[in-house]
Amino acid sequence: MARALWTGSLSFGLVTVPVALYSAVRDRDIHFNLLHGPDNSPIETRRVCAHEQKEVPYSEIVKGYELDDGRWVLLSDSDLEAAAPRKSHTIDIEAFVEEREIDPLYMDRPYLLVPENEVAARAYALLSEAMASSGKVALGRFVMRAKENLVSIRPREGLLALTTMRFHDEVRPSAEIAQGLASVEAPSEEEVENAMAIIAELEVPFEPEGYRDEHRAHLEAIIKRKRKGQKISMPKPKPEEPAEPPPAAPDLMGALEESLARIRGEAASKTAGASKGKTKGKTVAKPKRKLPAPKAPAKRASGSARRP
Amino acid sequence: MPRSIWNGTVAFGLVRVPVKLYSATESKRIPLRERHAEDGAAIEHRRLCSKEGREVPYSEIVKGYEVSEDSYVVLTKEEVAAAEGPEAHVVEIEHFVDREQIDPAYYERSYYVGPGKLGEESYRLLHAALERSARAGIGRFVFHNKAHLVAIRAVEDVIVLHTMRFADELASGEDLEPAKPEKRPSKLELDTAQLLLAQLDAKFEPESYANTYRDAVMAMIEKKAKGEAIEAPENLQATPEGDLLGALEASLAQSGASRGKGAAKKRSRSTTPVGKPPKRPAPGATKRSAGAKRATAATAPKRKPTRGED
Repeated sequence: MARALWTGSLSFGLVTVPVALYSAVRDRDIHFNLLHGPDNSPIETRRVCAHEQKEVPYSEIVKGYELDDGRWVLLSDSDLEAAAPRKSHTIDIEAFVEEREIDPLYMDRPYLLVPENEVAARAYALLSEAMASSGKVALGRFVMRAKENLVSIRPREGLLALTTMRFHDEVRPSAEIAQGLASVEAPSEEEVENAMAIIAELEVPFEPEGYRDEHRAHLEAIIKRKRKGQKISMPKPKPEEPAEPPPAAPDLMGALEESLARIRGEAASKTAGASKGKTKGKTVAKPKRKLPAPKAPAKRASGSARRP
Repeated sequence: MPRSIWNGTVAFGLVRVPVKLYSATESKRIPLRERHAEDGAAIEHRRLCSKEGREVPYSEIVKGYEVSEDSYVVLTKEEVAAAEGPEAHVVEIEHFVDREQIDPAYYERSYYVGPGKLGEESYRLLHAALERSARAGIGRFVFHNKAHLVAIRAVEDVIVLHTMRFADELASGEDLEPAKPEKRPSKLELDTAQLLLAQLDAKFEPESYANTYRDAVMAMIEKKAKGEAIEAPENLQATPEGDLLGALEASLAQSGASRGKGAAKKRSRSTTPVGKPPKRPAPGATKRSAGAKRATAATAPKRKPTRGED
């Protein structure tokens, strides 16, 4: 079983629920060890005191903050805890809000909260059931690893899922990025409608399981080949597609119409293929696209109605 | 103008939007470094060859994937880069989804997308279409030699790009074997909890949540710099056992506001033992008269922006 990253209490009103916090992210990255090139022996990292030039055990290492005058203030773990004793041990729920009011820009890392014991489990169940029926998410704060976290908590599959969030001043203002845009002519109604038609044609339900981490798969394949002693060569850069260089003044309307025509043509042939497949049972050959085939025949059907 | 970290094209259909990418977030952590407790000196991380026991310059270090104990497949930087092939500098939008269908756990990092050279018109078009349809575009792009799944959305006047986690990167709760309650919460407890939820109902206003811990740590650092002693932290309080309903009702009374008759009725029913109120210092918790409660409710702001730090 995974290791708890933090234990403490979840508190709403005067109800206190002892909980443990686990990461909701599984590390699927391919990890490399650092090796010494000439002899392929593993590299060890040692922590060395710069003053004494000798190795320092972890227990002798503290946090330091550099003052403007170059002096250092040393802080032990208990000093840091003393800065916020309650917050270091308690997630205080301060408010309940609508999920969609929280812009994903604020989302940082996902975790799962688990009740510590059977007594806690009852209060935990009470909170998650009450939240599930109200449809709201809880906002709270706590301190973990010398950092205060604003968090949102929502019921998910019988558990409470917690997401750490960025504070308002950690989200940069976007004003400068959009600055020059106001002086540019707004797109015409027709252009926007065409763009929205493309969006509608390409709309699918969000099915995250359908997206594979190709980077991981490629890296695994390379390791396998190398292990067999095969040579890995850098793929040749793809020649730039000369067919559609972006024109200096892009013909937006032309690109929109051409896209729609192509997508609809593709969609039409797909619907035909899909309905043929259905009669044969479940062995529908998936279209050659990498991603989950849109399984919304209703939508496609309405699209195909537009076909002449 | 902030500096862009990537230049490329967002492609949807045959429409190509030249764009620049900017970081949308920044960490405001207090910069703390590792120091040696005894003399306050810096801690250096030295890389040593485990066989020769001597320090190794960075140029002699390679990356190895451990296939079995002490047996590695060594990959050069170029070979690792080969996993992605050449960067195409295109964010290819493959699908559009209802943005409310995306669980927040999928969002990883956030970037602002700004218009690139000659991209203003097509940028405005993409922004308008995303905004009006309330859809997010799902696509892929290669950034720093790694292919990412991304979602793009219109947020106010700009387009935001999020890198996304893959489904198999998210843990399910089943592995955690959570403790199950012996008895399920009662209807009365659920109703009372609902009232408490309603009392704490608010609009999400990110500005109203300030990072007070940062200030507390800075204050402590200043104090310590002057040579003052740091107070030891108090012990972790014991968790109140049982009497969930009592705690709920005491909470309701504490936060004051009663909305509607249902709330008032429910509370009056429980004038009998309000359970063992938890030890936590609760301002107003000792006030028992309904009048006093209502008075605090009238003057107290709906949501306390900050619960006083201890």
